[in-house]
Amino acid sequence: MTAIDVKPRRRSARPVWDEEPSFIGKAVKALFLICYGAAIVLPLWAVVATSVASEEALSRAGGNLLILPTEVSFQAYQEIFSGGALTDSLILTTVLTIAGTAISMVLTICGAYALSRTGSLLHRPILWFILLTFLFGPGMFPSFLVVQKLGLFNSYWALILPGAVGTFNIIILRAFFMNSIPGELLDAAKMDGAGEFRTLFTIVLPMSKAILAVIALFYAVGYWNMYFQAVLYTPGLETQPIQVVLQRMLMSTQGLPEGAQAAAQYRDQGEAAPTAALKMAVVVCTIIPIVLMYPFIQKHFTKAVITGAVKG
Amino acid sequence: MATLQSTAPPDTDRPADRPIVRRKRTVLQRLRHDWPLLLLALPVVAHLSVFHYWPTAWNIIAFMDYSPYRPFWENPFVGFAWFERLFADPYFAPALANTLKFAALNLLCMFPLSVALALAMNSIISVKVRSTFQSIVYLPHFFSWVLVVTVFVQVLGADGLVSNWIMAGGGERLDFTSNPETFTFLVWMQWAWKDAGWGMIIFLAALSSINPSLYEAAASDGANRWRRMWHITLPGIRPVIILLLILQIGGILSVGFEQYQLQRQAVGFQATEVLDTYVYYQSIVGGQGESFGTAAGLFKGVIGLILILVANKIAHRLGEQGIYQKS
Repeated sequence: MTAIDVKPRRRSARPVWDEEPSFIGKAVKALFLICYGAAIVLPLWAVVATSVASEEALSRAGGNLLILPTEVSFQAYQEIFSGGALTDSLILTTVLTIAGTAISMVLTICGAYALSRTGSLLHRPILWFILLTFLFGPGMFPSFLVVQKLGLFNSYWALILPGAVGTFNIIILRAFFMNSIPGELLDAAKMDGAGEFRTLFTIVLPMSKAILAVIALFYAVGYWNMYFQAVLYTPGLETQPIQVVLQRMLMSTQGLPEGAQAAAQYRDQGEAAPTAALKMAVVVCTIIPIVLMYPFIQKHFTKAVITGAVKG
Repeated sequence: MATLQSTAPPDTDRPADRPIVRRKRTVLQRLRHDWPLLLLALPVVAHLSVFHYWPTAWNIIAFMDYSPYRPFWENPFVGFAWFERLFADPYFAPALANTLKFAALNLLCMFPLSVALALAMNSIISVKVRSTFQSIVYLPHFFSWVLVVTVFVQVLGADGLVSNWIMAGGGERLDFTSNPETFTFLVWMQWAWKDAGWGMIIFLAALSSINPSLYEAAASDGANRWRRMWHITLPGIRPVIILLLILQIGGILSVGFEQYQLQRQAVGFQATEVLDTYVYYQSIVGGQGESFGTAAGLFKGVIGLILILVANKIAHRLGEQGIYQKS
């Protein structure tokens, strides 16, 4: 009976037993998803459109645009990269992101590998030492006090060191090392005389490139988005991370006492209060690195998140 | 201790019929064998000791009349005096009430939204549409709160896009981002915008782990779409829902800092004050003193700890896995 594989052609991948949903059901679902998607995309589009508008176009439109202006002007971006405070801030944030991610990754990899070898000396106490941090946070003020006592207050190190270890990331990476790298491989390496460091560098790390990249990107996004630590630990520094700068710009254009103060600050420094286009251009600059990393994160993160959640 | 066995050197001259004699190795032998692992663990242990456990120990000043200008041991113990002062503070109760309000909002309004998104997404059959949509809804999770608030002011603020449209249509100025009365709704919208899509991931993963043959069997037994959802889908994702609920309940007093601090000037402190901003503005910005701020933070930490232990216990009672298990 060769005629068996003559099937009616199906337009979608819907399984055979599944009935076609009603039109109303489909429409409601589509409407829900489309509205939700539009609510995310349209504001971002408005930000981009406003950032490339010239001042006349903006004042005609009342401060913001949803449609790309007819004459596109990159004046705001020129201002950002012209070497002023904004350029310094972007450079600082980039440096902090790179240095912080490197430090965090070294700590995370070492910790995760050490904890992945169950049965070693002090393995359980160290694991508990790390797991207990999930249950209780030390609190904002004692942390602040310790940063002060270490002499890190108003030092850029305070933006990297206190938050350098993400214990959750250690647990995720440890679960990956334990579950996805075959024990036979490690045993074979040991038989061939490789020590722990050699095993780590030549076998374990090359086999975990994807998850390492994802964890690194999560750390990088964290450093890039850093605001709270800068407010708490380094309020006195002249060059602030880009999020703090953006917050000041936001305040200065809201007509509030605080806003007036911030605007006066800009006046004192001989600068004009930021225009809407400049503000939105800074927003675009803070989004761009995230959007660039995004496809990669997206490719791998679901797996990483689930490994951590299920096996952590 | 199966792992000890695997790290022991294989004794090759053992007759096949003789059982393995596991020798208990001395600490020194284990140290000689495991020192590289200890060395690797050292940086993390040192880091957590300095930046987690040391500050945790500093919480003791919540029970002292602490002053940084005298030696530590000369600070007198005052028992729970700072906590009494904390509970008597007229700004503390509103901050706690706001925190609980936002946490309840998160619990009640974010879960259903994420689950609904996951269900709707799961039923998209075209792979292309699905992955495009996924990339869009996850994206805002990676934005900072500063950015989210800025975008919201730009769109919904007094001079924002929507306000402009309404005024162009002859309506009144919409002042959504500085109105204390609608702040709760604004917070919810910001959460939904930033994190509902992210919350969906874990549900999607749970959905994809449900065995499809269950659906097929149910369908051939005559269960319609809704009954399949009720009897297969929801029970299938129940462990994940419970796990997330526990985590949420444990973090109920930690609704975040940045979102409220950023909108404090625009909306006013009455509507935006939560426990974290309270600690910050009372002890670090204001002059309530070290011990007071520490007491407020310790209160939050202890309640959080109790909540997470209780929630986990309840999960065990319900026959779910919870976050950790008694071993």
